[in-house]
Amino acid sequence: MAIIETKQLTKHYILGKKKIVVGLEKVDLEVEQGEIFGILGPNGSGKTTCLKLLLGILFPTSGEARIMGKFPDDIEMKQHVGFLPENPYYYDYLTGPELLQFYASLFSLDAGTTKKRIEQLLELVELKDAKRLTLRHYSKGMLERIGLAASLINDPEILILDEPTTGLDPIGCRDTRNLLLKLKQQGKTILLSSHFLSEVERVCDRIAIFHRGYLLATGTLDGLNRQYQAENLEDLFVKTICTFDNQASVKTGETT
Amino acid sequence: MKRKKGYRYFLAIVFCFICIHLVQVQIDYRKKLENLESALVLMPGQMAGSLILGGFKGLAADLLWLQMETYWHSGQHYKILPLLQAISWLQPSYILVWTIGGWHMAYNIYAEVKTPEEKQFWYQQGIQFLKKGLAYPFNANKYDIYFELGWTYYHKGKDYPNAVKYLEKATKYPHPDYVDDVLAHAYEKNGQIDKAIKQWEYVRDNYVAFYDIAVRMINDLKTKGKATP
Amino acid sequence: MKKMWLIGLNTFKESIRKKTLYIILIFALIVIGASKLFSFLTAEEELKMIKDVSFSAIEFFGALIAIFGALYAISGEIERRTIYTLVTKPIRRSDIVIGKFFGVSMIIFVNFILATIFFLGLLIFKKSPPDVEVLKTLLLIFFELILIGSITLALGTFTSDAFNIICSFFLYIVGHLTSYGKELIERAENIIVKGLADMLYTLVPNYENFNIRDKIVVGLNVSWGYVGYTILYGILYMCIALFIALYFFEKREI
Repeated sequence: MAIIETKQLTKHYILGKKKIVVGLEKVDLEVEQGEIFGILGPNGSGKTTCLKLLLGILFPTSGEARIMGKFPDDIEMKQHVGFLPENPYYYDYLTGPELLQFYASLFSLDAGTTKKRIEQLLELVELKDAKRLTLRHYSKGMLERIGLAASLINDPEILILDEPTTGLDPIGCRDTRNLLLKLKQQGKTILLSSHFLSEVERVCDRIAIFHRGYLLATGTLDGLNRQYQAENLEDLFVKTICTFDNQASVKTGETT
Repeated sequence: MKRKKGYRYFLAIVFCFICIHLVQVQIDYRKKLENLESALVLMPGQMAGSLILGGFKGLAADLLWLQMETYWHSGQHYKILPLLQAISWLQPSYILVWTIGGWHMAYNIYAEVKTPEEKQFWYQQGIQFLKKGLAYPFNANKYDIYFELGWTYYHKGKDYPNAVKYLEKATKYPHPDYVDDVLAHAYEKNGQIDKAIKQWEYVRDNYVAFYDIAVRMINDLKTKGKATP
Repeated sequence: MKKMWLIGLNTFKESIRKKTLYIILIFALIVIGASKLFSFLTAEEELKMIKDVSFSAIEFFGALIAIFGALYAISGEIERRTIYTLVTKPIRRSDIVIGKFFGVSMIIFVNFILATIFFLGLLIFKKSPPDVEVLKTLLLIFFELILIGSITLALGTFTSDAFNIICSFFLYIVGHLTSYGKELIERAENIIVKGLADMLYTLVPNYENFNIRDKIVVGLNVSWGYVGYTILYGILYMCIALFIALYFFEKREI
């Protein structure tokens, strides 16, 4: 059984009279335990919407989303999930350790574990030297790293990352990549969204390509490449999206 | 996905509001009992003040105006004066403040005071208050205050030259018919018989309601040289 | 329960770190300034002036702190998107709202207590220990401040920051005018108008209920009965604000 699954998940944003913007349209997605799954797509393709629906930040128009078989409003399930939002903003009046401490307390971790884990995580994201700095003074890369640490504070079984490498320099990107692979080895399931193709290419076991709220393709990279006769991920990406756009324009051409 | 327990909150809110209503009734009762609300009624300035701070000058003036009405109907004419001053300060463009204020002084308080000196004093106060209103450009472009001044001079002060002066000004701006009528009377009293006849002719030709009286007045003026009793 | 407390504590911490408490210094300056300013008066007159200024300042600055504290608590978190990191944690949305309410109440309470200590200290210094009537006034001001805070909190669950501020201040002013409105209602002749106005009178938070300082300052007394009913009023209205906040926040898409 898939650890993360969506069934006909649909999200429409209603703007005024009869004007509907499709955020996500009938998406069926299954993520198996222990894999790194990448959601790919251009900006505004529904990647973030999908993640938000899974986590109960948004509510679906129809269809359902489940993590570990539980609906997004399930408290018990969230105990095992870590989430890194896109462009994370945190309580900028707290220091890094205080922020981690606060989130740890929300997960009801005991004091000993908390202390140990904060040390480990700060070590891991290399923010040990910035212990006394409030987040207001952090650089964008540092914020991204403390965000990653915060999403790992509960030692989650499932990690959901929205654009985890946007603010990072090449070295930071590489470190994050290595970290993800290491987490995978520990048996974690990772769902990430990105529009950085190279990053996805190197870490993901399977990918899904989103465009305009539609799920265009899912599968392993090799499988998809073969299916679409593409040479690499970039080629695949362009091909699927172009095919979709052409079909869409043909369709609208027919109806009008 | 269950997230439809909204109606429960709604019921709770309605229930709380019912309770609140009952509590408020008690509070209002106790306010009366312990004389807590009277302060508000006696000191409209307290609320008016908070409104000025909030930039709601007009609203503040309205509150004072309502207060003034209360005083007016209870015959406490003297108490109206400070309110009038305050309102005219808050909202000088509220033209009724000036006309009614002038009228209060020159007529109502005039009628209340006993000695001739006092009467003269309040008449002057009324005139001055009206003139102060004219100092604001937006009031100087309307007939209201000119007419009130002219009428006060004419009727109360028997000061016909001044009456003519202000009534003439009043007719320069859009005005109701009785302004022309009063002006005609004022011309006559001021000894300007020719102008009075002309004015009556104007009234006769323009206002149906005044037709009969205008015809009679012109006739009287031409035959007796005097028409207004 | 523990998590609510944590949320509250974090909200409180934010206000401390953001140095909102410095507003107490302004309060202190005003009160000290006032007491110097009025020192040419007789002791009795001076005391009245000090009380006037202090009560008004406690309420005014308290209202500012309540509104801005509550504003940051929910709509601020939504606007800055820190709320994502809360709702994805194992914590109920209702717990977040109630925790925020605790936090805002704490902010208000600490500010209020500091200002009050300062004020009472000044009274004692002026050799006029506060009597029970002064305490009644302060008690009612405190409940008014909590009510102001919870209303802003409730508004924050479904409006933008800017609209929230405008609304809160508008209600603050209107809420102090309701008694005057009541008088007008009693004069209304049209039964429908009267009914609607009566309803509005119940719906709008009646902050004027809490205002007994003008009476206390001139030496009049207010019964405990009145104080009790007004506190009950405050608590009931607070519950309404909380229910509204819960209702909107639970179905809010962030």
